[in-house]
Amino acid sequence: MAGYDTAGQIQDTYVSARDEFGEGPAFWIRYFSPSPAADIFSDNAVAESQGAWASGGHYVGPVSAPYQSNLSGSTAQGQADAQTYAASMLSAYYAVVPLLLPSNNRLYCWLDQEYSTSLSLDYLDGWAGYLANYNFAGLGTYPLYPCLYCDPGSPYPNCSTMAEARGLNVPAAVWSSEPEPCGSLKNPPTEGAEHCATVPTRLWQYGEQGACGYSANVDLDVGTPGFFMPSFCFSLRSDP
Amino acid sequence: MRSLQRTAAAAQGGLASRALVVSRREMLAGGIGAGALIALPDLSTPGASPAASAGSGSRYVLLYGTPESRPFPGGSVAAALSPVAKSRRLPAPKSVAAKLAAAPVSSPDQSSVALITVDNVPAGAKVTLTLVDATSAVVEKQGSLTITGIPDGTNILPTPVFAPGTATIAVVLAITEPSDRRLVSKKDPHRGAPVPMHAVTWTSHHALAYFDSRSGSFAGPFHLGNAPALALTTVAANHSDLFLWTTAEPRPGHPGKSRPRRAPLPWLSVFPLGSGRARASVPSPAPWPGGEPVATLANSDVARLVNGRTVQVSSAVTGEVTQVTIDALNVIRAKPSAVTMQSRPDGTVFITKPGIGRAVIADPAEEFRVKAEVSFPVPAVPLGAPSGKAVLSPSGETLYVLGGAKAGGLSAYDVASGALTASYSHGTTYSGLYQLPAGTLLAVSAANPRLTFFSPALSLLGTADTSLQISAVF
Repeated sequence: MAGYDTAGQIQDTYVSARDEFGEGPAFWIRYFSPSPAADIFSDNAVAESQGAWASGGHYVGPVSAPYQSNLSGSTAQGQADAQTYAASMLSAYYAVVPLLLPSNNRLYCWLDQEYSTSLSLDYLDGWAGYLANYNFAGLGTYPLYPCLYCDPGSPYPNCSTMAEARGLNVPAAVWSSEPEPCGSLKNPPTEGAEHCATVPTRLWQYGEQGACGYSANVDLDVGTPGFFMPSFCFSLRSDP
Repeated sequence: MRSLQRTAAAAQGGLASRALVVSRREMLAGGIGAGALIALPDLSTPGASPAASAGSGSRYVLLYGTPESRPFPGGSVAAALSPVAKSRRLPAPKSVAAKLAAAPVSSPDQSSVALITVDNVPAGAKVTLTLVDATSAVVEKQGSLTITGIPDGTNILPTPVFAPGTATIAVVLAITEPSDRRLVSKKDPHRGAPVPMHAVTWTSHHALAYFDSRSGSFAGPFHLGNAPALALTTVAANHSDLFLWTTAEPRPGHPGKSRPRRAPLPWLSVFPLGSGRARASVPSPAPWPGGEPVATLANSDVARLVNGRTVQVSSAVTGEVTQVTIDALNVIRAKPSAVTMQSRPDGTVFITKPGIGRAVIADPAEEFRVKAEVSFPVPAVPLGAPSGKAVLSPSGETLYVLGGAKAGGLSAYDVASGALTASYSHGTTYSGLYQLPAGTLLAVSAANPRLTFFSPALSLLGTADTSLQISAVF
């Protein structure tokens, strides 16, 4: 049950990905604001959702890639980035009627920490605390859960920063970018994702376009054993 | 970095607080703010020596990042001697201070650097701007203003911007206030069982302030009354106006969600320098502001680079936005890339998109027609901090770029032909690259020696250790 992440728009990506990998993904992971160098899901949410539906991957997980130096910043910076992220997700939710929260009310919201970016505790506190506190759509269920995409083996602070976090500011999961054994969508690896000491790795990017030579604009991801990624994504009830 | 977390406690002391009252002597001894100040003599000067590093040929570089000591607060300060002989190992920069409220900002001519701190005071929040001469590392001016009438726990995110050709530094303050503290129930992230949680509602608005670098005084704050807004903004300025992109915060509608609702567009407002009243406000195309590169053009229009390929130009007269996509940059990859955009003295702009291995010089006067284009192997870390992966020599003749993912090191390209002219690789993969005003190249690494200096001909000049994980160079 592997899926894709991409900085491009799903409707422009899924056909080439299907041609290359032979089938549709179990889920997509797409960029939401603030991600200053990517195409933003909420800027064209209806067309993106139509693309996801057509691809057969009816689940969309959110990731945000702020200006990377921000992640070394203050609590106010982390809070501001999270505020825009939550608003971007809310805008997509309202723009696409059949786009729903996960039925378990746990939407994993990933923060993109690239290798060579340092994550400060001040920033993480502001970022994670805002998302955990966000009363999404006024539903009163507080369904957003902060999570971190990172390379756990990086010499830059990430695992150690999370180890210092407390309470709701502790990310719910890690999406590990290493190692990258590559492989296909149909037969993803099952074991071997890197992990941190205090936060479990739930998602593994086992194939990256550049390193693995994929022609389609996608990276390949799979949930670690026992974790079913679509259950923690937006879901599409019908074709938008 | 220091942000405002206003509590009943008095303002905290420590190195960061001392930075607010730093003397010129202290400044020369080590510097202020978050990051490291490193002395670099003009290496083109014959006979330059460490002893002369504080002389007329010296220059300081501000490095901004996260100390490697736990719990990883943002920023610290250090100072070190500069390289004078090939392969000489330099003394480690000394950590001096920590916690700024925002990343430092360089003036358009790189002669000054603005640092901002925010402190708790009994009346509210004290915002202090310190202007540092980049050549001598001496404090030029310092001034403060106080934000009053804000509740405990308010966060303030300042964004400074130099107005080119003037003595004004505009500061946009995003003020985010808590309200409606309450006890709610939320599912445990792992087991799914409900657990109690203290929740808060946050509401943001913006205020403007203007720092006069001649007098060291502030005008403002001018509160814009735009709550609820998203705190993130994009800011630019020309010689007469401040350009501010904001977004209204989407608020919950009725829970049924029976009809689609469109996302709000960003809004661009143009404020005469010194004023809190916009002379023009127009809608802007998406995306929302927050981290995209901006540049003030030769004709005083302002440009922002969005989605890594499209330039939106705001008219200096009306603020109205037009946009053009640069075909050479219209290449999509699975992973986003760091992107940069800088105005050049001849009126062109220099844009880098290392994630697709490309840099261009484009002419705004000709709808951003690409005048030069260089392709290079994608570096190992095209998105991670610091954002500098490729730099253009002052003459515009040479492009320096981080080596490809496999080779590492540095490479130089002839801009006119796009041909590789030099490379240096000894197995090290760098994460960032900057060119200092004297022409020296500074490459940033993950592990010590984190600072490696090269001549413009890519000869190794020296290295230095620092305990700072560098996220930006100013």
